[in-house]
Amino acid sequence: MIRSVDLVIHNDLAEIAVVRDALDQLGGDLQVPMSALMPLQVALDEVVSNVVKYSWPDGGKHEVFVRITVSATGVALDIFDDGRPFDPRVAPEPIPPPKGQRPRPGGVGIHMTKKLVDKLAYERVDGRNHTSLIKHCAVGVALKEV
Amino acid sequence: MNTAALTIGESHEGNVCVVTLSGRVDSTNANDLMARLKALISSGEKSIVVDCGAVLYLTSAAFRALLVATDEAERNAAKFVLCSLGGHVRELFEMGGFLDVFSIYSSRAEAVAKLA
Repeated sequence: MIRSVDLVIHNDLAEIAVVRDALDQLGGDLQVPMSALMPLQVALDEVVSNVVKYSWPDGGKHEVFVRITVSATGVALDIFDDGRPFDPRVAPEPIPPPKGQRPRPGGVGIHMTKKLVDKLAYERVDGRNHTSLIKHCAVGVALKEV
Repeated sequence: MNTAALTIGESHEGNVCVVTLSGRVDSTNANDLMARLKALISSGEKSIVVDCGAVLYLTSAAFRALLVATDEAERNAAKFVLCSLGGHVRELFEMGGFLDVFSIYSSRAEAVAKLA
């Protein structure tokens, strides 16, 4: 059995709360282990906030589509946007700071995302970015009953 | 998981200001945290401890806020430290390469004693 939820938010950082809360809700209902849910929340925030901040440099109101899919073996997050092409898989690693200086956070989010999930995939289809994140985990008994 | 997003508490232990974070620090609220910390520094606080003991997780937006606050504290000759990173939160610091970037103490008592 697979359960999924589709969400549409706008390119507004505050609206990321909608997808965050939906992942919490679905993860809680289906007994996704916390050890998977927390890294997924961080990765979702990194990818969606990146889209919101950088996909539409000219501004304006745009939509970000997020699909959360939970199966017995894990969770998939699919993020779609029609902004400028951006492949997070080839994003440059954070640049180490000059000696004695503090690092700047640029690039850290995607770098962390790669470590937090089991698979980070990307494709450009019909003028849209499709980023997908997969985390494998044994999902609780609830899924078998739905 | 607790659905409350982030609460930011503030208390004083002697001359040390302790900021207690509870919940999650992500891109929806990291700017609020940054604004609170900057306001504390500009109001003249010279010793600030950020207690992360009740943080569920944080994202790179939170690291950005903490880095900005660290810079701001330095410019104002204020001490700015973190304490009580739980297992998962510590892993995120490590993953982002931030464990050596901030002054981190294992407990609030230790941090306060160091700054008092």
